Amino acid sequence: MGSISELVADRRVRMVGGLLALVVAGILPALSGSIAIRADASFAVIFALGILSVVVLTGYVGQVSLCQATFMGISAYGTAWLVNSGVNYWVAAVVGVILAFGLGVLVGIPALRLRGILLAIVTVGVALSFDVYFFQDDAFAWFNGGGGGWGVDGATLFGLQLDAINPENVLHTYWLLLAVFAVVAILLVNLHDSGSGRRFRAIRDSELAAATMGVNLTKYKLLGFGISAAVAGIGGAFFPVVLGRVSSQPFSFFYSLQFAAFAVLMGVRFVPAAAMAGVFMAFVPELLIRLSGAMHVEISYDYFSIVLGALLVLQLITAPEGVWGDSAARIHHLLHRNKRVVAEPTKVITT
Amino acid sequence: MSLLSVEKVSLNFGGVLALDSVSFQLNRGEILGLIGPNGAGKTTMFNCISGVLTPTAGEITFEDQSLLGLKAHERAARGIARTFQNLQLWRTMTVLENCKTPMDALGNRGIVSDALRMPWATRAERAGDERARAVLHVLDLLHHRDELAGDLPVGIQRRVELARALCMRPKLLLLDEPASGLDAGETEHLADTLQVIRDRFKVSILLVDHDMSLVMRACHYIYVLDFGEVISTGRPEDVREDPIVISAYLGEGSGAADQAPAAGNGRKRTKSQGGTLESDTLPEREPLLVVSGLRAGYGGIEVIRDVSMTVGVGEVVACIGANGAGKTTTLRAISGVVRPSAGRVMLDNVDITKKTSESIVRLGMVHVPQGRGLFPKLTVDDTFALSAYSGKAGGGLDAVYEAFPALKDRGSQLVGTLSGGQQQMVAMARALLVKPKLLLIDEMSQGLAPAVVSQLFERLSIFKQQGIAVLLVEQFVDSALAISDRVYVFEQGHVAHEAVASVLRRDQALIASAYLGTAVDVTSTGGEEPRELEPGLMDELSVKLPAEIKRALQERALQEGKDTDTLAMELLGGKAKK
Repeated sequence: MGSISELVADRRVRMVGGLLALVVAGILPALSGSIAIRADASFAVIFALGILSVVVLTGYVGQVSLCQATFMGISAYGTAWLVNSGVNYWVAAVVGVILAFGLGVLVGIPALRLRGILLAIVTVGVALSFDVYFFQDDAFAWFNGGGGGWGVDGATLFGLQLDAINPENVLHTYWLLLAVFAVVAILLVNLHDSGSGRRFRAIRDSELAAATMGVNLTKYKLLGFGISAAVAGIGGAFFPVVLGRVSSQPFSFFYSLQFAAFAVLMGVRFVPAAAMAGVFMAFVPELLIRLSGAMHVEISYDYFSIVLGALLVLQLITAPEGVWGDSAARIHHLLHRNKRVVAEPTKVITT
Repeated sequence: MSLLSVEKVSLNFGGVLALDSVSFQLNRGEILGLIGPNGAGKTTMFNCISGVLTPTAGEITFEDQSLLGLKAHERAARGIARTFQNLQLWRTMTVLENCKTPMDALGNRGIVSDALRMPWATRAERAGDERARAVLHVLDLLHHRDELAGDLPVGIQRRVELARALCMRPKLLLLDEPASGLDAGETEHLADTLQVIRDRFKVSILLVDHDMSLVMRACHYIYVLDFGEVISTGRPEDVREDPIVISAYLGEGSGAADQAPAAGNGRKRTKSQGGTLESDTLPEREPLLVVSGLRAGYGGIEVIRDVSMTVGVGEVVACIGANGAGKTTTLRAISGVVRPSAGRVMLDNVDITKKTSESIVRLGMVHVPQGRGLFPKLTVDDTFALSAYSGKAGGGLDAVYEAFPALKDRGSQLVGTLSGGQQQMVAMARALLVKPKLLLIDEMSQGLAPAVVSQLFERLSIFKQQGIAVLLVEQFVDSALAISDRVYVFEQGHVAHEAVASVLRRDQALIASAYLGTAVDVTSTGGEEPRELEPGLMDELSVKLPAEIKRALQERALQEGKDTDTLAMELLGGKAKK
């Protein structure tokens, strides 16, 4: 007891580390007065929630989904629709998250039979049909607001005004989002280490063993999909207030792909990796474009995709557990270098 | 009235009858063995009990309640735990987490209270932790508790699977091939461990294994399956001497059965020979294939250890031994299909250990694999053309059709539509086309009718006359010995004996021991008659009676043609009150 490595693994150290990161993340956007940067910070958290939903589904339960942005979208549209029907924003947001949970459970039903590539294709179908029809087609104008989507003025929370116009209010929105993310992250870490989390992970590692050891596959697979969709839905419910409107573009299949790709890149089994990936996804494209402006080179968003693709290939070769996962493992290894554990020989009675 | 009762269970796999009306009873507190050659339906039976497969007919009851219609996790909740032949640990979880999972799966705590760390969730977590540690302690695994299950050596992983199953606090433990991948010493240790587990955790155990030494040592009672049917039942020492069982393992109704009772002494007798071949000495042959110290396996499980053998020019050598003894793996390691982890293979004084399979073929050694390795969508002619192309000379098809006249009219037929025997002929003919010096043939007669098998053996003797050396893995021991010059007997991954075929043919006892194991400890099975029975209802009896006594009662009932209840009542002298 008492070595640094054990301290790292200690819950208190994780909490202090998380709190520090939270404070830094809270202060940094406040230092800039720019609405754009503060809004980007909010998007970083929303993306982080989207990636966190992949961590739950793929990292914990081992299921594949390429429609996480759709879950986010159903919640965002649901919230905006209800707000425009005169419902209080936060009530609408809760309904939005519940909608996402429900859709998640529905999408989980094919997962009871299918796995791997076949399941992925089913979710792609869900993503494309929602993207093209439910979120865009005028037949569903009552839900998607018709051509330009919904506009949302903002929301109030305990007298605090939240909107996308005033720099102060944008910052408040960001802080609220950050706090929500922290709570969700803590709950998910708790879940991971608890009995329910072990049942999820048991399904990931061996369904056969999980079933014969008493894990109800139907229940836990559907719950996994539901919880994952709800996490994405929480991000989606903030969309209207952060952007001031809702349109289909951020919920396209392309975003679902990005969520999956970033989750794998940073470490699909780790909650902190989702935070890292959210920041990366929100700021790196912006940074690239600014850099190109400063260097007078024409760089479009496409370059970002190329960079992402190259990074993914590199990562899968050098750090299969993801950037966060492998760095953590390497630090752990460095600290343990001096006390390498020698496997004890098995007790064998020979006569 | 038994703990587990299987009644006339049948299972159809797309037309193939994997289980044919199998019935058996497992009594509380018993270690019951289910044995039989490969493909006999043992693991299928297991899957039916644990809910992975659903039988097409029959009934399985556990504690007098039907299991059919229950899902796997519901059966686990009833108290049935199992292990797996191919390890199914949760590899990215630690050993302790592996052991805690079944408990909280059955405890079924809420996901919300888990995420919120409610006090009751934390308390349950601590209780589960303590129980898991206690089980790990008993199985001597506590020091591995924080290691990832997937990082552990295979032997230890098997023990962790056992611990995980015990953590469920099961009433019935199903063990699927727990000894596979273990060496003789570990197997013996395992047999002792099973007794300890039964006494300490108060579980009944159903055991399936190839390894006869484990089954004979650990089990109180044995059912033997073959082709999905129960062919014999009894105590270990009886089953081992049952002619039907021996012939099932040897693959034909050979004379082995007559002399089998002497099996226990077989090993000692050959040992005293010291490997020298007294009579029937063979002519000196120039060595063609020399294998030394070969080790190989799959995915970390070492299947063969230190296998050394030679095959002379033009010599026919057979490998025999029980299923899982390492014969097929040896052939695969020799022909380069499996990469050996140690050892050397020399063909014609060329080291071929590291060579690829196709370059080995060019050097004149061809492997006819188990299952034949044909292309079902190619015609017979195309198959031969392909082979002639990849071989060096492309020897004439005429010679092939001469050797296998049955194939003559079938040139344009798809290989997949041929009968099993014809397919085997195509596989052998294809091998002949590359003009080999040495032919490795694995389980040539598998799944074929005896008449076809004898035809194939005739072909082999023609090869022999043509000077082609053959290394043969065969279940039809007698036929194999008849055409072979020498024999290697495999046991648990190494060559246990080497003998001249004609000598071994006379020593049937040794053959039987190679297949049925010699490590029987008769004292481990109690054959006592019921002495004093408490009066009471049969229900109570079946719970309270020691398994050994109840089994003896059942056996006697069977002999006298009565049902168990009636017999028990008779023995009680009618004193039992209803």
